Amino acid sequence: MTTIIGTIRKNRTQTITLAALILSFLLAIQGMETGDWIITILRGLSVAAVTFLVASGFSLIFGLMDVLNLAHGTLFMIGAYVGWTAYVRPDTLLDLATPAALFFAGLLLLPLWDRWLSRVRLAPQAARGLPWLALALGVGALAFGFARYPITGWDVTVYDKSPVVFGVQLDLGQLDLPAPAIVGAEQLGVSMLCLFAGGGLIALGLTLLESRNRIAAATTRVPWRALLLALGLALGGLALFAWNDALTAFLVAAGTTWRFLIAVIVATLVGAGLGALMESTLIRPLYTRPIYQLMLTLGLGVIGREVVIALWGRTQMQMPKPALFNTIGQGCPAQTIFDALANQCSTISFMGSRIRTYNEIFIFIVGVIVLIVVWLLLQRTRIGMIIRAGVQDRAMVEALGINVRQVFTFVFALGVGLAALGGVLAGPSMGVSDDMGESLLLSALIALAIGGLTSFPGAAAGSLLVGLLQQFIVKYGQIGIALPFLEQPFKPTPPLVPASTLLLMVIILLALPNGLFGRKE
Amino acid sequence: MKILRDHAILGAVAVFLIAFPFLIALLDGQSIGAMLAGQSGNSKFYQGLLIEIFILAIFAISYDLLFGITGLLSFGHAMFFSVGAYTAGIALKSLKLPLPETLVLVVFAGVAQALLFSIVLPRVKGITFALVTLGFASVFHIVIMSHELNDWAGGDVGLQNIPKPALLDPANQRLTFYFVALALMLLVYLFYRRFVDSPTGRVCSAIRENEHRAQMLGFNTFYFKLAALIVSGITAALGGALHALYQPIVSPTSASLGYTVNALLIILIGGVGTLSGALVGAAAFRLLQFYLDKLFGESSSFILGVVYVALVLFLPYGIIGTWRAKKLEWRAAWQARWRAWSAARPRGK
Repeated sequence: MTTIIGTIRKNRTQTITLAALILSFLLAIQGMETGDWIITILRGLSVAAVTFLVASGFSLIFGLMDVLNLAHGTLFMIGAYVGWTAYVRPDTLLDLATPAALFFAGLLLLPLWDRWLSRVRLAPQAARGLPWLALALGVGALAFGFARYPITGWDVTVYDKSPVVFGVQLDLGQLDLPAPAIVGAEQLGVSMLCLFAGGGLIALGLTLLESRNRIAAATTRVPWRALLLALGLALGGLALFAWNDALTAFLVAAGTTWRFLIAVIVATLVGAGLGALMESTLIRPLYTRPIYQLMLTLGLGVIGREVVIALWGRTQMQMPKPALFNTIGQGCPAQTIFDALANQCSTISFMGSRIRTYNEIFIFIVGVIVLIVVWLLLQRTRIGMIIRAGVQDRAMVEALGINVRQVFTFVFALGVGLAALGGVLAGPSMGVSDDMGESLLLSALIALAIGGLTSFPGAAAGSLLVGLLQQFIVKYGQIGIALPFLEQPFKPTPPLVPASTLLLMVIILLALPNGLFGRKE
Repeated sequence: MKILRDHAILGAVAVFLIAFPFLIALLDGQSIGAMLAGQSGNSKFYQGLLIEIFILAIFAISYDLLFGITGLLSFGHAMFFSVGAYTAGIALKSLKLPLPETLVLVVFAGVAQALLFSIVLPRVKGITFALVTLGFASVFHIVIMSHELNDWAGGDVGLQNIPKPALLDPANQRLTFYFVALALMLLVYLFYRRFVDSPTGRVCSAIRENEHRAQMLGFNTFYFKLAALIVSGITAALGGALHALYQPIVSPTSASLGYTVNALLIILIGGVGTLSGALVGAAAFRLLQFYLDKLFGESSSFILGVVYVALVLFLPYGIIGTWRAKKLEWRAAWQARWRAWSAARPRGK
């Protein structure tokens, strides 16, 4: 008892703030009918879950590496677009898998180059020009090979073949995939070789660039593991190519629920891969001049968005909900969650209002699962321990002889992967468009500021507050608040939704400069 | 003479910019008389482009004082600019004030905002200060767009039909406007140089380097940060007023985060904390934007993103910053090359 009182006394401002928040929450509930406030809370939780997925990744990256990753919103959006592709167009996904596998197999030759370089001494003139030559040749080979590889895709310029149409088709249940393009064996072989060589050349260029800043030779062992992995990847890519048609047919027949699962996994992995790539190539040279990371991530964000617009077009696309959450008909709306699962209902009727199973239940559950998994990862594993230690004192962890670089890459991959996961989850409920990332990044930033920038529980609490506040304002915009001195009930207008979260952030930051759960610097 | 020697490059640039409209007119075959009369042509067009650069430069240099010199990262700086623009616009349009009174009002508005930001200064530091200022600016952005203020601020379209004073009408008297904007930019630059070299400015730099140490030395850092905020606020507001006078419309996006990011990008391109970097950066930023738009159309923002990434990787401290850091090295390299060349050259017979 005394310890509790002691804690409260020590964190007086925190306690008062929390009490004020709970009080205003209760007041907000008071003004609504029971069904209304329950559904508003559920909606708030769903928004909070998506915000949390973006915010937690952002906060992990910021906490460990002090990088404000302003491209996070774009990566969230890329997650949604990649997920959409895997979901609506499994054939394109499979077609892309082979070139990607070959390219990465080429990239995995990096340790081999490393070993070769440690034996060769380059003239200084060659060392200056050679890396860029290798990189340019690699990119050229990649572009050459990729342009010749047959990919059944879509055409943004032709409406009938544009991504929007495929989304609508899937929604109506009449998805009509175009016939795969057929090319000669010779062209195929050349393009595959070019893709592999492109990866290898880029790896060579990167190794050469790296070796300029290195004093001693690094490795002398033959990197068997990497070579085996490269071989496996290449063979896997070829196998995917051989069974491409059968796999496509299988995926199309598997139905939307399974495809959605695959989409979630693919989007998360692609996000993680992009994150690892970003960190290891572009962010890493900038740890010594932090403010330029802002410019870099901003630039990357713009590039990502433009690439997405070029590939998928500007129009907002539909991503139908998976079949498990999308049936209207017999037994629907369901009475309980189990009924809903059995009948695959899209809604559950609850106290006179309908709860959407995907938006209000599924997203929230995934959010909670991610929260628990990442929390366990941080608290119970060795790498989590290193991350937590790194957030507190990076220099000390380095001094203890831990390879922080690998941990940095891992955390960046994890953070971006979480954002991509958020994107693909938000796809069916928000719609897939190229501006979905920006507003979410802002909410995530606000949530983090409220919760404490580098605190993981803070990210969850902040997202919760932001989600609930937004949804309550939206709901009150419909029903109006009866204020004492006004004749008409006051209806908050849509611009008040972002404004209210911003005001909450400012107030909380003025009361608690480190956020609700942030540690004092 | 000393002034001339210290500011040789600045003087050269100023002379060039003063001569610029005439040079373009000469190159274009337009008579000087026609150019002075404000007839349309290349000269008038490039004057317009340069005026935009001058306004951007004034905005960016005020951000450089705050962030580059004093080390206060603010994400709400666009509000300083936007409030200046809206104050000037509303004063001229709705209150029908003459220009001098409007400018006084704009200065007061700048000081008022600086005071508003300074309320939170003692409580929040670093990135938290940036987020709180972002909050202020975004709320201002939302307020200025609201329908209730439609008659005053023009809602989400922006403030239109601001009556321009006859002497400074950008349509007919663009050359005058050009010189006024140029003069204001140069004055602001010289004043900032002086401010940064003054004891107050030195303390501001000390705050950026290590605030605790500055406090230990007995400086009340709050007052110095407040001074920087006020100077920066007035400058940005004046830049905003100029923007309102020049542009046909003051859009509410001028208060958005994107506009602050523009200022940040400009000083990152030019070099953080160099002051002259803000001017160079503004020119580079606007010209890049303009020419990429012209060359690539829709995909220009992609190229712009690539350019940003390339700048970060290859010009590690911005244009001016990298120049200052590498100046001696480059000069030595060229001298060595020159010596090697002249040694290898066969001497006269």
